[in-house]
Amino acid sequence: MVCKPSVSPKIADMRVLVVEDDRKTAGFIQKALKAEGFAVDVMPSGADGLRALETTPFDAAVLDIMLPGRDGLSIVRQLRQAGSTLPILLLSARGDVNERVEGLDAGADDYMSKPFALAELIARVRALGRRTGEAKSNTLRVADLSLDIISRQALRGSRSIALSDREFRLLEYLMRAPGRICSRMMIIEKVWNYDFDPGSNVVDVYIRKLREKVDADADTKLLHTVRGVGYTLRAP
Amino acid sequence: MMRLRHNLTLRYSLVMAACLAVLSAVAYHEFVREPRLFQAAKVADQTEYEWFEAAEVAVFASMPVIFCFGWWFIQRALRPIDDLVSSVEHFHAGNLQHRSARSFNLDEVDRLATAFNAMACRIEQSFQQIQAFTLDASHELKTPLTIMRAQIETLLESDPLSALQRESLHSTLEEIERLARIVDGLTLLMKADAGLVPLRREPIAFDELVSESAEDAAVLALPLEVAVEIPRCDPALILGDRHRLRQLLLNLIDNATKYNRPAGSVTISLTAIDRTAELRITNTGPGVAPELAERVFTRFVRGDHSRSDGVEGSGLGLAICKWIVEAHDGTILMTPAPDRTTVTVRLPLSVPEPARNGDGQKAKLP
Repeated sequence: MVCKPSVSPKIADMRVLVVEDDRKTAGFIQKALKAEGFAVDVMPSGADGLRALETTPFDAAVLDIMLPGRDGLSIVRQLRQAGSTLPILLLSARGDVNERVEGLDAGADDYMSKPFALAELIARVRALGRRTGEAKSNTLRVADLSLDIISRQALRGSRSIALSDREFRLLEYLMRAPGRICSRMMIIEKVWNYDFDPGSNVVDVYIRKLREKVDADADTKLLHTVRGVGYTLRAP
Repeated sequence: MMRLRHNLTLRYSLVMAACLAVLSAVAYHEFVREPRLFQAAKVADQTEYEWFEAAEVAVFASMPVIFCFGWWFIQRALRPIDDLVSSVEHFHAGNLQHRSARSFNLDEVDRLATAFNAMACRIEQSFQQIQAFTLDASHELKTPLTIMRAQIETLLESDPLSALQRESLHSTLEEIERLARIVDGLTLLMKADAGLVPLRREPIAFDELVSESAEDAAVLALPLEVAVEIPRCDPALILGDRHRLRQLLLNLIDNATKYNRPAGSVTISLTAIDRTAELRITNTGPGVAPELAERVFTRFVRGDHSRSDGVEGSGLGLAICKWIVEAHDGTILMTPAPDRTTVTVRLPLSVPEPARNGDGQKAKLP
């Protein structure tokens, strides 16, 4: 079988700008992203960050909200007003629901509160790169698994799968971007609509249930665990 | 509603009318009666009588003019008070920049406006200080936590680690998480104290939130072998903030699951009676001492078992619950018994009348 080349931009080609004033924090973010194959530039202030974004074509940006001079939110607003579609991840020291909503309303694509796990940061920056071109069709397909999002019917080969509401939403989220690594927190936010970590293993339990239904008697497994990060659904 | 301006105009008009009446009576006596008495002997003086008629017409025609002038005049005189009232009405946590316009004529109203502006300035400053302080404190505390966390994660990836080292690093990571939650909780409560946390007020099907949370709780309780039951869940529409209400339910149900005995149970029931939604969450397990029951909603006060049982928490969960409930005009109560604990939350049901002054309301702690 011939593998089709991926249409999404390769991670190695992705150039990411990190705007963070704390030198140590900026340092380890840069190191962690570089280790994953991203090209990373760091700017220590909002004004420098904005200038860099206006002059250099980046593929994604990681912005701290509290920056000297110019805060992250106002940078996002200015970029969006200028028509930029650059994927932006906001980092914040405040962990409150309001600020998250404010950040996403300002036009940011994602939001993460400090202190964060490095694996979580990497998963989210990767997801930013994949954001372009999500499936618009009413039927999602990954290998022989298909999900009709109108009739809510799931089929593995010719076998019909009965799903509860939560299981359906979880499967839909995973199938929207096959191959994307989804952290537990990303799943909690998107499937459960919680803006805070319920601090537990709800996701693991639901993934286990879903796996029993989707992969149980199939030869090829589609739902994979990414150790220390979360889960992904992909064709073999 | 009687406004000061109506009142003053009315009095002014009455006084004017009374003056006019007296004036007319005097004029009548002077120009009509006296000439008549005088006329008993002489012939009527026609010109005197005509003069009186002209005066009468002039007096009555001037009444509306006097009234309109008074209305305008008093409106001008009272405008500074009107401005001051609307300034005070518009001054709240969401609009601290509002100041009253001054007339600079140094009368009582002008002095009152000056005093109000000075007070508004001080309040605005203290609100800004709280806002800035919570933001700075959060930033200054979270930055070292972020660095510590990253360093421990990096350490955990280095290879030759003994089981003991690994365990101790994981435990440190958990404590960092806990500290971060405490920072979040404290800054939230500080801002709530100052009335700086905006609360949405939209119609919410509370019963749906409750059954959803119960479903999640059942999943969470699986490894603890705790059964979650929901025997009654009446439809209950309330005006509230969806995120905050979910946070409330999750905190309460999480507590009920955590502080439980193995093979115990959590019973959740929602009843809607007499414009009140009553949520009762009962769990089996070591109850708190009765003397602690009221204090558990205070910051950092925890049930006597919670520390010794090694259950982790921020010590702020119930204080946040209390704030959320009270910001929704409700009450929260813990009733301990030797082998079970019940938490009762009462929230007002949404009344169908659309005129409810809740939009954009700010939440404030008592």
